Amino acid sequence: MLRRVVERARIRVAATSPSRTAGVVAAVAILLWSFTLSDVRLSILVGVIGAAIAALGLDVLVARTGQLSLAHAAFLGVGAFTALNIGGRNGPWPLAVLGAVAATGAAAAIVGMPSLRIRGLQIAITTLAFQVMAENFLFVRQDFTAAGKTLERPGFITSDIRLYLFALAALAIVLVVRWRLAVTRAGRAFLAVRDVEARAQCFGVEPGSSKLLAYAISGCIVGLGGALLAIKEGSISAKDPFVLLESLQLVAIVVIGGAGSATGIVIASVLFKGVPQFISKISIFGLHISATRWVPIISSALLVAAVVQQPEGIGGVLRLLGRRIDKRLRPSTGEGLPPRPQPTDPVAAAHNAAALRDVPRPFALRMPVPALLVGHEVTVQYGGVFALSDVSLEVRRGEIVGLIGANGAGKSTFFNAVSGLAPVRGSIRYRGVELVGRAPSGRSALGAARTFQDMGLVRAETVKENVLLAQTWLSGYGPVAGIFGLGATLWRERDLRRRADLALALFGLEHLADERLGDLPYGTMRAVEIASAVAAGPDLLMLDEASAGLGPEEAHALGDRFLALRDELKLTLVVIEHHVPLIARVCDYAYCLESGALIAEGAPNYVTSQPQVVESFLGRGGAAGRSQAKAPKAPKAGPGGPSRRRRDRAQRGSDERAPERSGGAQRRRQGGDPVGAAAEGGGPRGRAGAPGLKRPAGTKRSAKQKAKP
Amino acid sequence: MVGQAVTGLSAGAAYALVAVGVVLIFKGTRVLSVAQGEIGAFGFFFGLRWANRGMPGLDWHPPLFATLLIAVVIGAVLGLVIERFIMRPLATRPPLDALIATLGIALLLALLEKEIFGTATQFAPSPVGKWRVQIFGATLTAERIVAVILAAAVAGAIYLFFTRSKFGLAVLATTGDPTVARLLGVPVNQVYRFVWVTGGALSGLAAALLGPAFGGLTPFDMTKFALRALAGAVIGGLDSVWGAIIGSLIVGVLEAVVGGQVHVEGAANVAVLILVIGTLVVRPRGLLGTSGAA
Repeated sequence: MLRRVVERARIRVAATSPSRTAGVVAAVAILLWSFTLSDVRLSILVGVIGAAIAALGLDVLVARTGQLSLAHAAFLGVGAFTALNIGGRNGPWPLAVLGAVAATGAAAAIVGMPSLRIRGLQIAITTLAFQVMAENFLFVRQDFTAAGKTLERPGFITSDIRLYLFALAALAIVLVVRWRLAVTRAGRAFLAVRDVEARAQCFGVEPGSSKLLAYAISGCIVGLGGALLAIKEGSISAKDPFVLLESLQLVAIVVIGGAGSATGIVIASVLFKGVPQFISKISIFGLHISATRWVPIISSALLVAAVVQQPEGIGGVLRLLGRRIDKRLRPSTGEGLPPRPQPTDPVAAAHNAAALRDVPRPFALRMPVPALLVGHEVTVQYGGVFALSDVSLEVRRGEIVGLIGANGAGKSTFFNAVSGLAPVRGSIRYRGVELVGRAPSGRSALGAARTFQDMGLVRAETVKENVLLAQTWLSGYGPVAGIFGLGATLWRERDLRRRADLALALFGLEHLADERLGDLPYGTMRAVEIASAVAAGPDLLMLDEASAGLGPEEAHALGDRFLALRDELKLTLVVIEHHVPLIARVCDYAYCLESGALIAEGAPNYVTSQPQVVESFLGRGGAAGRSQAKAPKAPKAGPGGPSRRRRDRAQRGSDERAPERSGGAQRRRQGGDPVGAAAEGGGPRGRAGAPGLKRPAGTKRSAKQKAKP
Repeated sequence: MVGQAVTGLSAGAAYALVAVGVVLIFKGTRVLSVAQGEIGAFGFFFGLRWANRGMPGLDWHPPLFATLLIAVVIGAVLGLVIERFIMRPLATRPPLDALIATLGIALLLALLEKEIFGTATQFAPSPVGKWRVQIFGATLTAERIVAVILAAAVAGAIYLFFTRSKFGLAVLATTGDPTVARLLGVPVNQVYRFVWVTGGALSGLAAALLGPAFGGLTPFDMTKFALRALAGAVIGGLDSVWGAIIGSLIVGVLEAVVGGQVHVEGAANVAVLILVIGTLVVRPRGLLGTSGAA
C-alpha cells in the first residue's frame, strides 16, 4: 500500500515539468522568508493580500467572462463596510466575514444584471456608473460606513504574524475557489458564454444565470478581501481605498499580471501595493525617486504598455520563460508526433461505444420510436424574409439523412430551429416531445446534439475542456456545488473526463487532448467538434457541413466516420452537406431545400438527379450541369463482392442500389452492442404515422440487412 | 429652477464638446475613450503654467486667450501620439483592450499633472474675457456662453463635414466596416488619425472652458467631466454626434436641477447614473444611435 503511494508520488513528481517544480520551490521559499519580516512589513503585506484578493476576484470576470468591471474598488468597499457594520455592532467575526461575502456577491450580481441585455463596452460603462454612484452616494453616508464603530479582531489574532497567516488563509481559499471554478462546469460555462454565447445553450449552458453567477462569485471573492481589510484596520473613516482610482489600479494589476494568471496577479499586487511602502526611496544613478509618488505613474504607464505590447502580462512572460527552461532541460522526445495508431480491439470499441451511449435519460426518451425528429410545417421568419416556409420533414431512427441545397436555402436555419436558436412557427417534435417553446438549454437533455458550420466551441480552451463543456447537461451537479466539491461533484466529474477520453479516442484525437483548440488545423477542429457532440451522449446528431474545407480523401474518410457513428454508436444523423458524392454514398434519405422551401426528397441518388435540384445547385445550365452532378457516383456503383449491407430502395420507380463502401479503419462493425441492439429491434420498421408528410406510402426502404460474411 | 436649468445647459454644452470627441472616435475606430477629459486638461494645465510664469526658455507670457489655443494644440498632438503608438497596434484586438488602454492613458496623464502641477486647485481665469449675461435669472459667465456657441458651431461643422465632404463620407465608410472601406480605397489610417486629433483638440477646448466655469481645475477633475460627457454620449447614442450633444445637454440640466432641488449629498450623481443605466438596459443604442452602438 505504502509502496504504491510512494510510487504514485514519484511518477507525479517526474511528470511535473522542471519549470513548474522551480516555481513551486521559489514560491515556498519566498513564503517562508516573508515570516522573518518585521511586524510593520507583515501588516503591509496583509494590505497587499487584500488587494490581490480583490484583483483575483476581478480577474474571474475579466478572464472567464471577458467583461471589464470598473467597480471592483466599490465592491471592496461594500465588503469592508458590511464587515464593519456587523462586527462593529458586536456581531461575531465569522458572521462579519460571511455577511461581507454575501452582501458583496449580491451587490455584484445586481450590478451585473444589465449584462443580460448588453455586453462589452456598455457593461464597462454600467460598472463605472456604479463605482461613481457608490463613492459619491453610499460611502459618504455615516450609517453605511459604520463611522465611529470598531471591528474587534478575532480572539486568535493576537499578533501581526497571526493576522498575516489569517490573510494567507483567505488568499488560499480564493485560489482554491478559482481552481475549482476552472475544473468544473461553472468555469467552462463562463468561457462558453464569453465566446459562443447563444451556441453554448446547445450544451445545456444557460447564459443568463451563468453571467449572474460569474458576477456573484467575483463579488464574493472581493467581499472576502474587503472583510480582510476591515479586520486589519478595525475602522475605516476615509473612502480613499474604494474610489475610482483604486478600481483602475485593480484593472492595472489584472492586466499587468496577466488575465487568468493567479501567479502574475499576485506578483503584480506585490509590485504595485507592496513595493511603494517597502521602499520609500529608490536611488538610481544619483537620482532619488520617491516610490510612493512614482509607482502609480509607472504602473499606469506599464498598463498602457502591457495592453499594447504584452497582453498576457507577467503571467504570459512566466509561461514563456517556463517553456524555455523546460525545452533546455528536457529536450523534446519526439513530442508532437501523433502516437502510433493502436490496432482496434473490436470488443473494446463496442464497449466504449456502449459507454458513450449510456446517459441518464428517462425511459420515455429511450423508447424505439420510428421517427426521431418530425418537423411539421416549420416556418422561420426574419422580418419580411422567410428563411424556412412550411417545411415538413422526418428523420427516422438509424438513418443518415442528408439536408442539401444551395447557400441560403435554409439548411442551417432548420438546425437552428431544432436547437431553439431561431424563432419558429409550426411544430418540431423530437421523440414526440414538442421542441417549439422549450428553452434551448433544456433541449440537449432530450438527446439531440449538433455542430455548427463555423464552430460552436471555445477556441482558447484545450480540446478536452471543450469536450467537457459539451457535456454540461450531463454534469449532474450544480455549478455552485461544483466549486465547493459538494455532492456527487468529484466522481461525476471523473466520469465526465472518462467519457471525454472515450469520445476523443473514438475519433483518434486522444493525443491532442491538452492542445489549445484554436492552435489545431481546421479539419482537426471540426473533428473535435463532432467528438464533443458525440460525448454529450445524443441519439440524434446534427452535423452542419462537416466536410467543408476537406479534400476529397478526407471527405471520403468523413463518410466512413458517418457510417461508423450510425452503425457502431447507433446514432441517427442529419447532415448538411454540399459534397454530392458523400451524400450519395452515406445518406439513406435526402431532403433538398431551396429558398426556405422543400423542393425534393427521397433516396440521395434520386434527389440529386431531380431537374429542379440540379437547377437549384447549378443554375439553369441544363445537361452539362446535370451530368456533373451524377458523374462522381458512377464509378462506385459497380458490382462488388458479397455486400455487407444491401439496401433495396424502391424509390418512385428507380431501382438503385447503395454504392459499395470500401472497408476503412473506422469500420469496426460489431453486432453485439447491447444498447444499440436492444433499441434497434431489427426487422422492418413501420411507417411513421405522421400526417402531412410527403413521403408516399410504399416507398419506405426495407430493413437494413446486417449480413455478415 | 429655470435659472438652474439654464446654468446646467451651459455646462452641458461644454460636456458636449468632450462628448462629440468621444463619439467621433467611437464612430471612426470603435474605441470608447475615457481619456478625452485628461487629454485636454493636460494641455490646459501647461497653458496656465506658462501664462503665469512664462514659457520656459522664451521668457514670453502668453496672453490668457492663448491658454485655450495651447490646450487645443497640445490636445491635438496628444491625440496624434495616442493614435499612432497606442491605438493603431490595438486596432485588431478586442474593443475592451483599447478601453483599458484609454483608462491607463487617463490615469497616466492625471498622475503626471499631479506630479508636475501639484494637487492644489489651479486657478483658471477665463481665456475668453470676463463679461457675463443674464438669462432667465441665471448669470452666465463668458466661458459658458462661449461653450454654448462653440457647441452649436461644432455641431454645425460636423453636420456639414459628414454631409458635404468626401472625407466625412470616408469616416462613415470606416465606421461601417474598416476592411471593406480600406479595399474601396478609403484612407483608413488617415481617418483614425483625423478622429483622434479632432477629439484631442475638442477635449482641449472643453478643458479651457470648463476649468474657468467651475472656478479652477485639479488633476482628475476633467476625468469627472469626461465621465459626464460619456454619460451624455451613452444616453444620446455612442455613434451619433447629434445624440451626444443632446445627451450631454440632458446630463448638464439634470445634474444642475437635481443638485439645486434635492439636498441630499450625491443626489445629482445618482440621478445621472440611473439615467445612464436605464438607457443602457431599455435602449442600449441610446436616443439617436444606430444598432452599431449597442
